[in-house]
Amino acid sequence: MKRFAVWGALAAPAMAGAPDSIWRRLLRLEPAMLLWLFAMGVLLALVANPMFRLAVASFEEPETGRWTLANYIAAYGSARQLQALWNSLELGIGVALLSGVFGIPIAWAISRTDMPAKPLVRLLIFGAFITPPYLGAISWILLAGPNSGWLNLTWMTLSGADHGLFNVYSMSGLVAVVAFSSFPYVFVLTESALDLVPSEMEDAASILGAGVLHTTLRVTLPLVLPAILGGLVVCFLEAIALFGAPAMIALPANFQVASTQLWQFFEFPVRAEQAAAYAMPLLLITVLMIWLQRSLTGRRGYAAVTGKSGERRPIRLGAWRWPMLGYALLVCSLSALLPLLVLLQAAFSRAWGRGLSVGNLTLQNFRYILFEEAQAREAILHTFAYAGASALAAIGLAFVIAYLVRRRLVPGAGLLAFLCMSPIVIPGIVLAIGFYAAYSAPPLALYGTSLMMILAFTTRFLPVGYASASAGMQSIHPEMEEAVRSLGGGRLLAIRRVLVPLLKKNLAGAWILVFIPAARELSTAIFLVGPNTRVISVMLFDLSEEGNFEVLAALGAILVATSILIATIGFRVIGRDFMLRRGP
Amino acid sequence: MSRPYTAGRREILTGGSAAFLLAAVGAPGRAAATAPDESPHKRQLYEAARREGELTWYMSHTNDVTAQALGRGFESAYPGIRVNVVRTTAQVVFQRVSQELRAGAVQVDVFSSSDVGHHTYLKKRGLLEPLAPENAGKVFENYRHYDPDGCFFVTAAALIGMAYNSARLKETEVPGNWTGLADPKWNDRIALAHPAFSGFIGVWALTLRKLYGWKFFEDLAKNHPQVGRSINDTVTMLNAGERLIAGTALSGTVGENARKGNPVSMIFPSDGSVLVLAPSAVLKGARHPNAARLFMEYLLGTDASKVWVEHFGEPLRPEVSPSGAVKSARDLKTIRPSVPELIEGTPEVIRQWRETFGV
Repeated sequence: MKRFAVWGALAAPAMAGAPDSIWRRLLRLEPAMLLWLFAMGVLLALVANPMFRLAVASFEEPETGRWTLANYIAAYGSARQLQALWNSLELGIGVALLSGVFGIPIAWAISRTDMPAKPLVRLLIFGAFITPPYLGAISWILLAGPNSGWLNLTWMTLSGADHGLFNVYSMSGLVAVVAFSSFPYVFVLTESALDLVPSEMEDAASILGAGVLHTTLRVTLPLVLPAILGGLVVCFLEAIALFGAPAMIALPANFQVASTQLWQFFEFPVRAEQAAAYAMPLLLITVLMIWLQRSLTGRRGYAAVTGKSGERRPIRLGAWRWPMLGYALLVCSLSALLPLLVLLQAAFSRAWGRGLSVGNLTLQNFRYILFEEAQAREAILHTFAYAGASALAAIGLAFVIAYLVRRRLVPGAGLLAFLCMSPIVIPGIVLAIGFYAAYSAPPLALYGTSLMMILAFTTRFLPVGYASASAGMQSIHPEMEEAVRSLGGGRLLAIRRVLVPLLKKNLAGAWILVFIPAARELSTAIFLVGPNTRVISVMLFDLSEEGNFEVLAALGAILVATSILIATIGFRVIGRDFMLRRGP
Repeated sequence: MSRPYTAGRREILTGGSAAFLLAAVGAPGRAAATAPDESPHKRQLYEAARREGELTWYMSHTNDVTAQALGRGFESAYPGIRVNVVRTTAQVVFQRVSQELRAGAVQVDVFSSSDVGHHTYLKKRGLLEPLAPENAGKVFENYRHYDPDGCFFVTAAALIGMAYNSARLKETEVPGNWTGLADPKWNDRIALAHPAFSGFIGVWALTLRKLYGWKFFEDLAKNHPQVGRSINDTVTMLNAGERLIAGTALSGTVGENARKGNPVSMIFPSDGSVLVLAPSAVLKGARHPNAARLFMEYLLGTDASKVWVEHFGEPLRPEVSPSGAVKSARDLKTIRPSVPELIEGTPEVIRQWRETFGV
């Protein structure tokens, strides 16, 4: 590569002197230009148009399309519907705080201390990350159902009490269940930030007489505050956007959240316009959260985290290593180990209520899924095909846009970047309603097609792809592409032969990071799915309705096992772990 | 896996390794599987349907297992046509249909709901295809002429009673009639479903409101029942011991769960079990009109009745006798509201429910 660059430097002056008509330049630019235009068009269609249509619909009269405020009045006219919004806020804040309690200490322990068994903890956190929240909800219904959950039964047997300890059917139950599946975000972001903090700062504090705890709380953690807040905001957004887990837990617990309320607007008679109006504050809240995070962290300097600083030594915890490991394992058991175990138990049971016994063991649930329930096989194929295709599309689009933005090839690049990142603040269910409003009717008539599902998933996870591609591109100096261009190669050639090979691993890693959540996505799918485009998540949701937990668990186990398999192979091949860090 | 299994076209085409295994076993008796009572009309329909190759059936008559069995039964009676079975609760199914209608992309061919209000709504807007199935006149007399214009037909008759966990409660202590549910001793013990999901619950709530007024539900709410979504979910709560009494239970689902070894028993209340007549219809402009019509014939035929009996449901055809394992509507006191009452009352009951139970 180096030789290539030198060649380019030598050749450049000669080329610059050559006569070059405007026409020839245009001809040479054309293919790349078409690609830029195409990518920008797709971006507008995927992100801007659905949101625009949603906003417009919220002011429209259903039949006539005339301008009105009636949708807003209807959407907020009832105390129960306002209460649902409030409940969502409570859920979001609870989940964010609890995720912090779970994620931050473990991130600190893994990054900064000599806690043992780090690879095991990391693996279990990956397990928690890969388990979809609605499966977690089912597992916790089986674990903490007030009268029948395993944990409660064990407690009642041991203590002789006639009441269980836990009640999953409650707001606190829901908060815990959702936090178990979202704390990995806090963990990942905090840990990667902590990995960059040099020990010098901590040394300075301890020379001045501060203990480990004091140093950690006053020096280390404040240094990574932006990352922590970022993680908490992601958890908050995840929680208020979730649909599956609240539908399974909140309803029996006698309360609604915003997402289940949005679903109600689609009950007969469909009130899509009211749903659009009701979705608006969700969007506002999320934008507000992002702004809050920026302004909280923006004013201070965090220059210590430069990535170039010196030595890092683990803090010696001494005997405290073991309680620390105990805490990490406790969190991991609650979030990954127990839920997956109880899921497997149900998947291999004739009737899960009968517990573990040889007579209760069966393969019938898997046979039912794979051979008798004709839709399940197709749903399994669809799930992974759609996830794969949308991961590819998201990475492709993100790559092109990131290139445009990083190399400043078009005016308004900042806006493009904003559009790419904005789906992160759009709850899946809201995005789906926007897609439904924009593309379900003719002329495109995408309702019920695979393309609709793939496009929606692509949009939903575009930010993951963009963040990754953009970061990767930042690390590569344009001089190598310039070398190709100065030798007469077009931009596309430079991208194909230089940039893509250099970013191969980065892009493959991003593909996996989109693939995993796309394979389990429920809240977008539930509104856009048709009978011929069913996916596992929607099927699980339908099965959960009638409490068919054994079959549901078998299908869920297939989803989790396949996701783990694909992710593990992927990370092996590219030699990185699930945080995309280089392996040992 | 070694169980003899009649492989349809679908498995062989799409099943991957499963199809490979099944293909190795062989697809037995494709021609022989055609039912013997085929009339020329049905043969013609079958020919046309085979060219369409498939149909999509949205259904909320029963649990997933029975729904799948009905679909597979059709596929083996009429090889070459696959049934895309989508089973969920009535209101959720209807939500999908209305979304499709609004989007102008109707995917469903045959629509089976447990809320007859859906069918009347669609009929009023001219969205249902008027039919004259040969089998329509051969079902039990009570189930004929549900719609005078032949736009929808009763394809399932379900009994709603109560159920209890028989490992934890004795038959003598369970409530004998509906009002018994309000007894304070059942505080925190009852499981219910939700009328905004389950069509059956809508019918049930309307019937009980007619019998005892809304006060019945206000009393019931004082016992803090756990409200799920589908009527089948209440039985799951019994199986697990999460709740002891299912305030609403389908006798078919209870039978099926008892067969699996779960400790559940049915209660047929002395003030009457609620009989739900659940209709099916073919949508106008359906993509597979012939397959859809043939499927309607099947639902009204003896084959489907036999599948129902196998899964503890009520047979529609007089020549098929009910399962001995559960009581039949033929020997029970049953109550049911009229169709106009259902159309008028169901949306109202859902609203009242949300006020009283808070969800």
